Amino acid sequence: MKKIYFFGLCFVMLCRLAAAQDVNKKTISVNFQQATIEQVVTDLEAKTGYHFYYTQAQFDSLKVTLQLNDKPLEVILNAAFQKTDYHYAIIDQNVFLSKARQVSTSLAPGFFNAQPANAPPANAAVTDYTVETQAKVAEATTENKIYEIGIRTNSIKAGNATLAGYVRNIKTGEAIIGASIYNPDDKLGVSTDQFGYYSLTLPRGRHTLIVKGLGMKDTRRKIILYSDGKLNIEMQEQVTSLKEVTISAEKVANVKSVEMGVNKLDIKSIKQIPTAFGEADVLRVVLTLPGVQSVGEATTGFNVRGGAADQNLVLFNDATIYNPSHFFGFFSAFDPDLVKDIELYKSTIPEKYGGRLSSVLDVTDRDGNKKKFTGSAGIGLLTSRLNIEGPIVKDKTSFIFGGRTTYSDWLLSLLPEAYKHSSASFYDLNLGITHQINDKNTLYLMGYMSQDHFRLNSDTAYAYSNKNANIKWKHNFNNKLYSVLLFGIDHYDYSITSTANPVDGYQLKFGVNQYNGRLDFNYYTNPKNTVDFGISSSFYILNPGNEQPDGAKSLVVPDVVEQQRALENAIYLGDKYDITPKLSLSAGIRYSLYAFLGPQTIDHYAPNLPREPVNVTDSTTYGTNKVINTYGGPELRLSARYNINDDMSLKAAYNSMRQFIHLISNTTAISPTDTYQLSDPNIKPQYGQQVSLGLYRNAMANTIETSVEVYYKTIDNYLDYRSGATLLLQPHMEQQTLNTRGKAYGVEFLIRKTAGKLNGWLSYTYSRTYLQQDDPYAGELINNGGWYPANYDKPNDFNFNGNYRFSHRFSVSLDVTYSTGRPITLPIAKYEYGGSERVYYSDRNAYRIPDYFRTDLSMNIEGNHKVHQLTHNSWSIGVYNLTGRANAYSTFFQEQGGVINGYQLSIFAKPIPFINYNIRF
Amino acid sequence: MIRATRNKIILPGLVLLAGLLICGCQKLYNPKPVKNSPNILVVEGVIDPSADSTIFKLSRTVQVNAKTTVAPELGAIVNAEDDQNGVYPIPEIGNGTYAFPGLRLNITRKYRLRIRTTDGKEYVSNFVPVKITPPIDSVGFTILPDSLQVYVSAHDPTGSTRYYRWSFDETWLFHAFAPSEYISNGYKLVERTIDQQIYFCYASSLSPTIVLATSNKLAHDVIYQNPLTLIKGSSEKIEREYSVLVRQYAITADALNYWANMKRNSDQLGSIFAVQPSEITGNIHCTTNAATPVIGYISASTVTSKRVFLGNNSLPRRWQPIYPYSCSIDSIPNSRVQLDLIDIPVSEFTLSYYGNVFNPLGYTATERECADCTIRGTTVQPSFWVYR
Repeated sequence: MKKIYFFGLCFVMLCRLAAAQDVNKKTISVNFQQATIEQVVTDLEAKTGYHFYYTQAQFDSLKVTLQLNDKPLEVILNAAFQKTDYHYAIIDQNVFLSKARQVSTSLAPGFFNAQPANAPPANAAVTDYTVETQAKVAEATTENKIYEIGIRTNSIKAGNATLAGYVRNIKTGEAIIGASIYNPDDKLGVSTDQFGYYSLTLPRGRHTLIVKGLGMKDTRRKIILYSDGKLNIEMQEQVTSLKEVTISAEKVANVKSVEMGVNKLDIKSIKQIPTAFGEADVLRVVLTLPGVQSVGEATTGFNVRGGAADQNLVLFNDATIYNPSHFFGFFSAFDPDLVKDIELYKSTIPEKYGGRLSSVLDVTDRDGNKKKFTGSAGIGLLTSRLNIEGPIVKDKTSFIFGGRTTYSDWLLSLLPEAYKHSSASFYDLNLGITHQINDKNTLYLMGYMSQDHFRLNSDTAYAYSNKNANIKWKHNFNNKLYSVLLFGIDHYDYSITSTANPVDGYQLKFGVNQYNGRLDFNYYTNPKNTVDFGISSSFYILNPGNEQPDGAKSLVVPDVVEQQRALENAIYLGDKYDITPKLSLSAGIRYSLYAFLGPQTIDHYAPNLPREPVNVTDSTTYGTNKVINTYGGPELRLSARYNINDDMSLKAAYNSMRQFIHLISNTTAISPTDTYQLSDPNIKPQYGQQVSLGLYRNAMANTIETSVEVYYKTIDNYLDYRSGATLLLQPHMEQQTLNTRGKAYGVEFLIRKTAGKLNGWLSYTYSRTYLQQDDPYAGELINNGGWYPANYDKPNDFNFNGNYRFSHRFSVSLDVTYSTGRPITLPIAKYEYGGSERVYYSDRNAYRIPDYFRTDLSMNIEGNHKVHQLTHNSWSIGVYNLTGRANAYSTFFQEQGGVINGYQLSIFAKPIPFINYNIRF
Repeated sequence: MIRATRNKIILPGLVLLAGLLICGCQKLYNPKPVKNSPNILVVEGVIDPSADSTIFKLSRTVQVNAKTTVAPELGAIVNAEDDQNGVYPIPEIGNGTYAFPGLRLNITRKYRLRIRTTDGKEYVSNFVPVKITPPIDSVGFTILPDSLQVYVSAHDPTGSTRYYRWSFDETWLFHAFAPSEYISNGYKLVERTIDQQIYFCYASSLSPTIVLATSNKLAHDVIYQNPLTLIKGSSEKIEREYSVLVRQYAITADALNYWANMKRNSDQLGSIFAVQPSEITGNIHCTTNAATPVIGYISASTVTSKRVFLGNNSLPRRWQPIYPYSCSIDSIPNSRVQLDLIDIPVSEFTLSYYGNVFNPLGYTATERECADCTIRGTTVQPSFWVYR
């Protein structure tokens, strides 16, 4: 820092001398043999009368061997320092020698925000020490230092230059995603991508950049931008108990970004929300966001803006997770110790993503610590977790590993005799490896595996498992262009085994494999324009069911439903363009092409008749990988933002999506044994469109964010099941399902306080979702073809999430949820049949269960904040469902002893206390 | 055993599991009564082509919270018809029951049912083939830790049955809480005669659950130990002697689907992953107005049956019956007997005395439901009762 002042002072003085500065005409002769700098300087000072300034220590390795006659001083110095890292500068009678950096003989242009100085050029271009050719990019860690970017020139050219680089955590070297780099003078800003990479185009000249990141200390960097260059920024973690609710790091993003309906949460805000068993749960938190609903408590399936649960693309480090839940849905499949943040796209879905109608939930794990080995562990009532991370090669390669398991069997053993012999267990394993090959190339490797087993009454055993792996290669072509190449495999399977009846013993297996390849490009063409484009391809192999006899006495005939194969390709192009500072537009198009492939036998149905076995006229058998039929079409992703003023903006968006894989379920909640189906000639892909409009306003210095969004959405070709459908081991799914269309609309209000001791959010949503059977060949229409509310149609939905920080070590969170009861089908009449009372049901979803209300409370207690201690501890203690309200999960009517009774089932009907102990090392 | 719905039968257990994990959280729920409850015709019965009786029950649906479920449909005209224009009337024998002793039909033809109700509407079922039901191989019992599983096994060597439905009637001998040896003749207490014994009774019930199975996924048409009913070890049904009559019906795949849906709607709902209820239409329709719903599935088949008996001597001794009423025995001195006879006519005098056999000081007594088995059964031994 002193150095800067020193140089600054020098510059001020030297500026005045600049006019007198002249090229020295005097010539001298020298003859050095392995001369030290002292010898050289003494000789030259004697011959020229100039005075030399240098730091001896910097020059102790220099040996000069040179013989020249009658040459000017400049030529001699040029020759002496040729091919070395030494530089010189001559001002008047003074010579400044330096190593690595050349002393500039003029004040940096724009230093006083003045016009570029008209000083005559003293030297050729100063070596650019940030230019890409150099091995190491400057790590800008200091706030007050001025970093010069690009090839330095004495006068700053007009126009723009692009600055790019990574934002990283200074302690762990981990990339910081979604950090904002913002230039307040020009109101230009960007946020870092999933790799922590940013590219910002600014007018050349001097700037102060404000850098903000989730859970990071705000920082700033002073730069002088000469030309395109790189700047890596390291940020410090905020060392407080920090249970601050931060939905977005960019406090202005709410108003300034073009995206609509995007919610981002980091793990810290996820961890402060109380859950039933005390372990932070990613999916449970998603449910508190406006526009997200679920059918009930023990479900991890969620519904976004009236979409079905299978219309969400759940991405975990770019891998598709088919079943994101454990243990009957009481836990989500994501290890909270590894998750860094989540992002939910409800409206503006980036053109990069496709294949699902409603939303994209992007869950990202941290990178491993690049500097040292660390770890953490957590102990809860039902689960324990452990994670370890650290460098494999320091600052280059790191790994992160996490594992989680349950020991719930002790709880099951407390159950009555009939359930005592039940068991349930799960585990999941995560591995992430990041390898920085060089400044331009980085490799990311991830592996994930989860496994669930459960068995009730020692009769039938169930198991399901996710397995995912992928490798990503990120390549920076230059500051403005980078690409990411991905290859990955996603796998999901389940099995059901029963040997209770020896004659009937069977094992049933379901499995789906998805092979992915993707190439994405990101091109920052100019400050107003960012283009992204790419291609992706997924190959599906789906085994819908394979039943085999289990046990020697079993008479079960093997039953294998034909494998389904399909290829889904897409190409996309998107452009974000700032038309004026106030008006921005983002337009994207994605073209998907889907091919259903053999081997397969396809039934043909008589035209205009219900798809029933009797109406099958013919069938065709296709060979392996033969294209049976294709579907395809464009998907548009448009959004626009207009800033009414600095604190307020208006946004509008239109989206269309296509979906080729369907989850077929006739249960209320997603069950672990629901089956998937690929689109084929008889089952059309789903198509969805959404328009939305929003008003965003920030108040109180951006600490309070408010927004109102309205949307209207239509869904075509959603597959609903026929009454009394058989879905498992079903070779003719088209005979069991009906094409349904849906419409959904709603308005979402959100108020969020992001800073201060009290923070949190309040959201209210009014929304409706209706379905209608419009299948002309359905035969039997649900509710006679009228519109009926979907299972998850809950018009009023209110959520409050608040956190008050009493001190750095103690904070309290409160969570309040209210929603209208979900629709159900109720009995409207009863009769006697088959020896008992039976009930006659109303039209589908004609009635509602009682309204839902729940309050949760949790306290987070941190250990002391001494930096140097072996372990850091924290406790979270709380009560789930504080008021003990017995919220109805479902109501049902059951015959018992020949009489029908109505029952109400609640999952958490009492207050559930929880405690969790976490340790970090 | 209904293999087609396997993914749903998982989970009635899950409810309880989830429930018990956290709390006992299943409670009674009585929604507000529905306005305009529909009044739908319900048709139940099987066209029996043999010499056995063909019986149809016609009734109407009632409000869900109505006290009684019985709303018989009277005065309808019911005919079985074959696909060769043959008509076989099934006359009303009273109270909504329509029966004919033995239709003796040609089993190569297809049959349907036609009903004309007094409100002028006509209902016709689809033609169904006649299924010949194979005999029941066995009805047996499996002793579980605290309950008794009753099962049925059957097979069809021709492999043409594949879809099975069973109904069963249970009859059992049980006793009251305390024996009653005396009875009042209006003036004084006298010993009961054999005809007046009210300690041992027979009770019976019809199967309330729908029992279905299919062997269509098995290599042979075999049903092995398909569960019929589960009796708790503490049930009075098996405290002495128990008998079950199982009826077997061969049905079509379509009929099985209908019955399975009805079963699902009445006893497999409510768990976390349970199927949502839905109505499916049977094979009978209103021809007068297609929009008029009607409940029922008409099958044509013969019926086979089997009766078995079980005595409590083959059951675990630790199984003790739990009496359904809370009972105690009072002592009543002679001085109060007259008074009690008048004032507490429900009292039954149970044990003869306390004091001296020849000179009783008084009697012991208990409530009527604790001594009189006839309020829940009959002392008349059923004609089929052969066990001993």
